[in-house]
Amino acid sequence: MSVSSTPTAPGGRVIARRGSRVGAGRERPPAGTSPTAGYFFVALYVVLLVLLGIAPVVYAVDLALSNQGGLGTSFVDAFRDYRFVPAFEHVLEFTGLWLVSQTILVVGLTLMLHNLARRVGAAFRFLFYIPGALAGAASVIVWLFMLDPSASPFAFILHWLGYAQFDNTIAPGNLTFIFAIMAFWIGAGGWIVVMYGALNNIPHELLESAQIDGANAFKTALWIKLPLIRKWVVYMLVLSFAGGTQLFVEPTVLGSAALGVGVSKYWSPNQLAWFVASQYDNVDEAAAIAVVLLVFGLAVAAILVWRGRLFEVE
Amino acid sequence: MATVTFEGATRFYPKTERAAVNGLDLEVRDGELLVLVGPSGCGKTTTLRMLAGLEHVDEGAILIDGKDVINLAPRDRDIAMVFQNYALYPHMNVAQNMGFALRMAGVPKLEIERRVRAAAVILDLEEYLERKPRQLSGGQRQRVAMGRAIVREPRVFLMDEPLSNLDAQLRVATRAEIAALQRNLAVTTLYVTHDQVEAMTMGDRVAVMKDGFLQQCDTPRTLYENPTNAFVAGFIGSPAMNLLEGTIEPGGVRIGATVVPVANGLHKAVGKSVIAGLRPESLALAAAGTGIPATVRIVEELGAEAFVHASLVGADAVPQKPSNIIARVEPRAAPGKGELVHFQVKEGSMLFFDAASGERLR
Amino acid sequence: MALNQRHLMRVVGLAVLLIVTAFFVVPMIWLFLAPTKTDGQLLTESPFAFGSLSTLFHTFHRIITYGDDSLVIWLKNSAIYSFGGTALAIVAAIPAGYGLALTHFIGRRALLSITLVVMIMPATALVLPLFLEINKLGLYGTIWSLILPFGFFPFGVYLTYIYFSSTIPKDLLAAARIDGAGEWNVFRYIALPLARPIVALVGFFAFVASWNNFFLPFVMTYDNSQYPLQIGLQQLIGSTASFNPANYSAGSSIVVLHRPDLAMAVIIAVAPVLIVFLFAQRALVSGMLAGATKE
Repeated sequence: MSVSSTPTAPGGRVIARRGSRVGAGRERPPAGTSPTAGYFFVALYVVLLVLLGIAPVVYAVDLALSNQGGLGTSFVDAFRDYRFVPAFEHVLEFTGLWLVSQTILVVGLTLMLHNLARRVGAAFRFLFYIPGALAGAASVIVWLFMLDPSASPFAFILHWLGYAQFDNTIAPGNLTFIFAIMAFWIGAGGWIVVMYGALNNIPHELLESAQIDGANAFKTALWIKLPLIRKWVVYMLVLSFAGGTQLFVEPTVLGSAALGVGVSKYWSPNQLAWFVASQYDNVDEAAAIAVVLLVFGLAVAAILVWRGRLFEVE
Repeated sequence: MATVTFEGATRFYPKTERAAVNGLDLEVRDGELLVLVGPSGCGKTTTLRMLAGLEHVDEGAILIDGKDVINLAPRDRDIAMVFQNYALYPHMNVAQNMGFALRMAGVPKLEIERRVRAAAVILDLEEYLERKPRQLSGGQRQRVAMGRAIVREPRVFLMDEPLSNLDAQLRVATRAEIAALQRNLAVTTLYVTHDQVEAMTMGDRVAVMKDGFLQQCDTPRTLYENPTNAFVAGFIGSPAMNLLEGTIEPGGVRIGATVVPVANGLHKAVGKSVIAGLRPESLALAAAGTGIPATVRIVEELGAEAFVHASLVGADAVPQKPSNIIARVEPRAAPGKGELVHFQVKEGSMLFFDAASGERLR
Repeated sequence: MALNQRHLMRVVGLAVLLIVTAFFVVPMIWLFLAPTKTDGQLLTESPFAFGSLSTLFHTFHRIITYGDDSLVIWLKNSAIYSFGGTALAIVAAIPAGYGLALTHFIGRRALLSITLVVMIMPATALVLPLFLEINKLGLYGTIWSLILPFGFFPFGVYLTYIYFSSTIPKDLLAAARIDGAGEWNVFRYIALPLARPIVALVGFFAFVASWNNFFLPFVMTYDNSQYPLQIGLQQLIGSTASFNPANYSAGSSIVVLHRPDLAMAVIIAVAPVLIVFLFAQRALVSGMLAGATKE
């Protein structure tokens, strides 16, 4: 049997669609809801956003751009500052070192933990996560203790590496490595928790089917698990990159230990910016450096939000 | 007590060509239970939500007691709604759920308690008043949702497939309870369902919708016996009416290889392609040589009756188009699988529809 | 052969795990045991040895009274800045997340995008511009120079947005509106009571971020009486003999600190966050994952 499938209107009246309707861009609020109530809910936050998020950025850009010497002079001055390039070299070296080691270790550890019994894995993850509570100056102090060959529980490693004295351990050449260790100690646990959650999102039927297809644990990790958490690894890389360039606490606190003669007060760009602002009252150059760092951060944020499909904006 | 009138109500969803509801003219009489039924996407839920104020009305009007309400917020329409998923407030207990609307309206606490208790008695919820929704069974939650609506004493009840989340047995029992409740309270009710059995058993009148258009609105009996088009004919009734393509010939209609005699005059329509509608109960097993021949594919034994699903064949047992036919038979006289049977059509029981438009031919 | 191979891999894997665990855990163990020993004992005895309770009390007393009870002052300051900032963050972020998730207004999507961008940007990028601005506004040296920035918490807004859009069914709000609730009442009676978990989560993250923040207080405070614990800790390094031996000559009247004292200070400084961490791990998993779409 075949009954006509076009919409039937018994009685005949069909209301034709008005042209303007199709493809109308913004839809109006659903019926029964207020189109303005939302403003009240976000009001306080928007005030804070403008005051503390947008205004400082605008102010800094303005300071950086406007200078008696003309547009952009502050930037030129900053670039020409003999400390500028070394500062960026330091943080980029640190960030590279940190990112590579963190990625390998976090992914590797998470995969390993994922193969363990649930409770055991949870216990390890908890232990790895706890150091995150010491983020900031506390972690630096702890590692100052750890790097001192005379009292450190890791003394045997330090001696084996040839460091008999504390001032050898925190020699300038070792700094990026030391900061990478600190950053990893603090942050790895949290990222392992995130990666583990991502692994858990993989439907276990996929893993079972891989097992049936003959893949052992290693192959499953390489060909199934890893590609499926790629998104999160990228997320971790990008966020850490942005954070790495902003390094400030570790070099500053480390520098307070006078033994750290190699840790200058302007080792990282953020430190340099603060230094020129506080020592020379050179807010313009400080603003220029801050803007450069902001651009790093903004670029990362823009990539993640608009190119990656990581975040929903609907 | 109220009447609800839809006048040319139309709703377009953004970025779609076809209207979800197209020019709906419908009246719900005071105190009646009108069921909106149709396949998914037909616009019945959209219609209900337009009445609730949860959907914009793009054209036309909706009147409650003669006053157009399309510019009124839901809270100002004096309506109550039972949602398909009940939408109970999970952090409030049953009594608080039922009393919430009254609380919003500023009704004094004692009055709220009185009304909640009265509704709880009607719905047999008294011992559950302190419980939270997650501590209730599906059926109990459904009753709380009803209670929430009753307590408001609104002008109109709106029900959006309230039974579809219950298991089959509970559904049948609750169906009767809701119908009885509505009769007692005599509140004008608009009820949406996709289940035509539910529609037929509960509604004072039933409105069938398809693709945004109202097909027919009538009492269940009228819909069953007098459908206005092939869609309604095929939608109402279970098992579905047989809708067979055929051509009018002198003296009857040719279906497949057989000409079924038709008593009164279709003489003017000779040569026309039609769809013949035959309900399973209008077919009876006949002796060989008369009626429509078919080979049995399968027999559904339902205890009190049996349904034969057969494929039409021609004189030489060659399968014919249209092919499928369902007939009701006495369970003891049911034929076997593969058997060749003949069906006789009860006098005057055939309905005819235009093959192109589906409209009923009279 | 395969069995031996698997066995070997397992042993290697276990060894790796143990080494890694030692890396994460040993510094903490050392830290907590350090105040129970004297400086000399730290140098000579095993890092896992427990000293004595009396040494512990002695150390505690010495560090607590150091610098005219500086540690107490710093603790008080940290509490003020962190609790104040967290309270502000919650009061601003929860309604904002609700508004972004469950109401409609022009610019909603734009606001959400901006929030995302600011949230992903590392906060340290804003510190210097903030310093310049706070200076200009004349708020320098007041507690508002810290509480206000701590209260601006776009990550909290985003978490709340995700939470509300995924846990509150639209029908629930429709039911409330039909029941006569206006927009504020819908928020107050329906959304807010259901928001307890997210309030706790946002509060947790805001608190930890503000308690452990170094850079911002570093630029915004200039006097010992204003320092939070993080800055105070840095000051203590300067007075610690093993890190700054040149500062102290024999006969100097400056009270010198030793490793156990500094360790004790660190423990006091991280205790609140550590306690919260211990209790909040399960909620944290969902919080961390809430930052991106579910597949």
